[in-house]
Amino acid sequence: MSVFNASRRDFLKTAGVATGGLVIGVALPANALVEKGIFKDSGTNLNAFIHLADNGDTIIYCGRCEMGQGISTALPSAVADEMEADWLRVIVKQGDADEKFGPQATGGSASIRVMYQPMREAGATAKAMLIAAAAKVWKTSPDNCFAQSHFVINKSNQQKLGFGDLASIAANMPIPEKPTLKKKSDFNYIGKKLPRHDQGEVVIGKRIYGVDTKLPGLKYAAIVHCPVLGGSLKNLDKTDALKLKGVSNVVEIPRFDVPFGSIGGVAVVADNSWTAQQAIKKLKIEWHLGENAIYNTKEYKQQLVANVEKPATLAAERGDLDKAFKSAKHKITATYTGGHLSHAPMEPNASVVWVQKDSCEVWASTQSPVDIQKVLGQYLKRDPKDIVVHVAMAGGAFGRKFKCDYVHEAAVISEKTGEPIQLIWSREEDMRTGYYHSINAQHIEASMDEQGNVTGWLHRAAFPSISSLFDPSLERASADSLGEVTNHLFGVENFRAESGDAKAHTRIGWYRAVYAIFYGFAFGTFADELAYKAGKDSLSFVNQLLDNNHNEKQQAQIQRAKAVLAVVANKSDWHKRSTLPKGQGIGLAVHYSFRSFVAMAVHVEVKGGEIKVLNVDCAIDCGQVLNLDGATAQMEGAVAMGMSLALSTEITFREGAVVNSNFHDYPVMRITDMPNVRVHITDSDESPTGLGEPGVAPFAPALSNAVFAASGKRYRDLPFKPLAV
Amino acid sequence: MGWQFMKQSMIINGKTHEINVDGDMPLLWFLRDELEFTGTKFGCGSGLCGACTVHVDGQAIRSCVTPVSTLVDKKVTTIEGLSENGDHPLQKAWLNNNVPQCGYCQAGQIMNAASLLAVNAAPTDKEIETAMEGNICRCGTYQRIKKAIVEAADTLGKEA
Repeated sequence: MSVFNASRRDFLKTAGVATGGLVIGVALPANALVEKGIFKDSGTNLNAFIHLADNGDTIIYCGRCEMGQGISTALPSAVADEMEADWLRVIVKQGDADEKFGPQATGGSASIRVMYQPMREAGATAKAMLIAAAAKVWKTSPDNCFAQSHFVINKSNQQKLGFGDLASIAANMPIPEKPTLKKKSDFNYIGKKLPRHDQGEVVIGKRIYGVDTKLPGLKYAAIVHCPVLGGSLKNLDKTDALKLKGVSNVVEIPRFDVPFGSIGGVAVVADNSWTAQQAIKKLKIEWHLGENAIYNTKEYKQQLVANVEKPATLAAERGDLDKAFKSAKHKITATYTGGHLSHAPMEPNASVVWVQKDSCEVWASTQSPVDIQKVLGQYLKRDPKDIVVHVAMAGGAFGRKFKCDYVHEAAVISEKTGEPIQLIWSREEDMRTGYYHSINAQHIEASMDEQGNVTGWLHRAAFPSISSLFDPSLERASADSLGEVTNHLFGVENFRAESGDAKAHTRIGWYRAVYAIFYGFAFGTFADELAYKAGKDSLSFVNQLLDNNHNEKQQAQIQRAKAVLAVVANKSDWHKRSTLPKGQGIGLAVHYSFRSFVAMAVHVEVKGGEIKVLNVDCAIDCGQVLNLDGATAQMEGAVAMGMSLALSTEITFREGAVVNSNFHDYPVMRITDMPNVRVHITDSDESPTGLGEPGVAPFAPALSNAVFAASGKRYRDLPFKPLAV
Repeated sequence: MGWQFMKQSMIINGKTHEINVDGDMPLLWFLRDELEFTGTKFGCGSGLCGACTVHVDGQAIRSCVTPVSTLVDKKVTTIEGLSENGDHPLQKAWLNNNVPQCGYCQAGQIMNAASLLAVNAAPTDKEIETAMEGNICRCGTYQRIKKAIVEAADTLGKEA
């Protein structure tokens, strides 16, 4: 990594800020940010960006996309900490799509893991240059100065110079080759509870989301999509729609067959969103439904179950499973399933796009501005770099806004009409035109010896994988997609993973925690089932399973997984569970995903068929925490999302189309269901890892285990209480 | 002659606004697209999620299913007009408890909670849950919402 002085280059122009003062950029070696499977290329270079103005205002850019996970507070706070900037003087700005910010595609719980170090080094560099500037003014040595709270202080005489006064002088100081980073004990913000930089705007309704973009001459569009993937428009009668006052255009949007392109539909353009929505209802449309019209999830799930309850395609193997099964004292089997999920962020897909002859400008709630540039570039046959993308605050995303089909559609409309277009999807379109979490089935067979050691483990999984988005001909998930099974921390000598047939009939996409949702559920629940069979308590049984892993590379991970599990057992009074009132129970689960460790203890009460979650203890180890409060919030949110998918949410397809339409038939969790969540964060010096997703995985298995402890009923299918739609 | 030509108006955050749109247009879109009060959010369009909650004559309603024709001469309060300086006890409590994650639903949550506290200054946990059940937060900030409402109620109780 190298830090450079951008003060005299023309970055300021592109950043749209006043010139003057000190500007710090950070250049990274080309491959430093390439994370296998997450980022295809690192792009170039300048990724962190501080502008210290002569009045002391400190603008820190966040290149990663904000969707509520708090990254635009966490990363800039690391810069401010190292810089000794006063957080109250910091203005956080969201970076537009630009490779100078480094990788901006925001997913995989990767932001903090990838950006923590460069952001700190940028801050430390700015501090060193400010100190050098003060030393020059005072004609003393930099060692005789230190920075504190937006000032540099002279140790010998306690004189002070403000950061603003030093900014322009600092801009001419040499860049330190390797800036010294602070000791943990000296942190001001890192690891502390820091309020979100933007929450003041939120509570007065002034925070601007993608859906809030306004431009002079803005036209409003609504859309209806082809209900079945691969279908197309057969017949369109737009007469009645065009008769509505305020309607100016009806635009056909053909399917654009690239990843993240539109599925195809018809849009209406009007003077306001409501008129556009009314006109959509007046369109008379017939669709060619195409071959996916055969897709019915009820039958498909049964087929997945059948496919994992018979031999399937080998993905990985260790030891001699057949021999282990032959000599088993106990043989246990179970099959787990889960349905499709829709992300359903509170802000539906929305963007503004203005395509003009020589320019294309986008304002969008997005997780991946780079993909917007790519898809719009492909569609408009322009250089992706010429697509200007302003990244707006997203009103929730959870993986959905990584895919920019909705932005592409706005571009199609704007290209046709020549006007700036705001396209807002209705909730119904959002729910019916998704990139869904995989429907899935898993079958596990295990053998145990007399001491309750697991001697063999056969794990078959069948689910349409995310790879099918890029190659629809795939017949089943690849061995890579079963990597979390093969590399699971449970130690089993004789092991086989197999992938069952599961061709995709809809678009599959990343959903918060992705495959960890169903892998975490199967591993965590099955371990509990095995513990009962072995006559052991679940905590010691899981610890034993972990201890039986002798893979040297996984020893540190095993210790960390056991440690978080011990915390929740302790905090939830697991050892006193026999004293709980009748009908109550505690369930445990621990899952390692996205390089973080999360354990949960879920305390439930079961009355008749009703499941009431009372308390959740959640322990995390994500290495060094950036924002203690943000980390806590992510876990509280993960419990809420885990609870929705464990108990009630499922997307159903019939004849190729989604049946659900809105929150009445996709019942996400409400405040009445919210348990008391207590988050316990491990104090760690390890490198930081992400928390956006890992909290989701352990909830459902811990809940299944708790309900079994409370009532003797075992739930193996997600959601436990599907709504008949 | 349609009613919309009769120069009807409503009062939004203390200011009179002529209703110059089709009477069937829901208040939400009148606010967002015509007047550019974008603090009130679109979430479901069917009164199922509460993101669009505003006050009409002090009471919480879902603006996405409330036609403007029903609001002639009524007093509408949006999140932008809840307090002069963003200092309603609920707004302060929201900040004090770091409630927002994405924040998109929070205007609706705060407006709904303000309507609750106006009629019930000291709600029980159960009453808070019942009153707030219509407001969805997909980020899962419910625990903090409850805490913030209790805190704001305490503040109001001390002021009274």
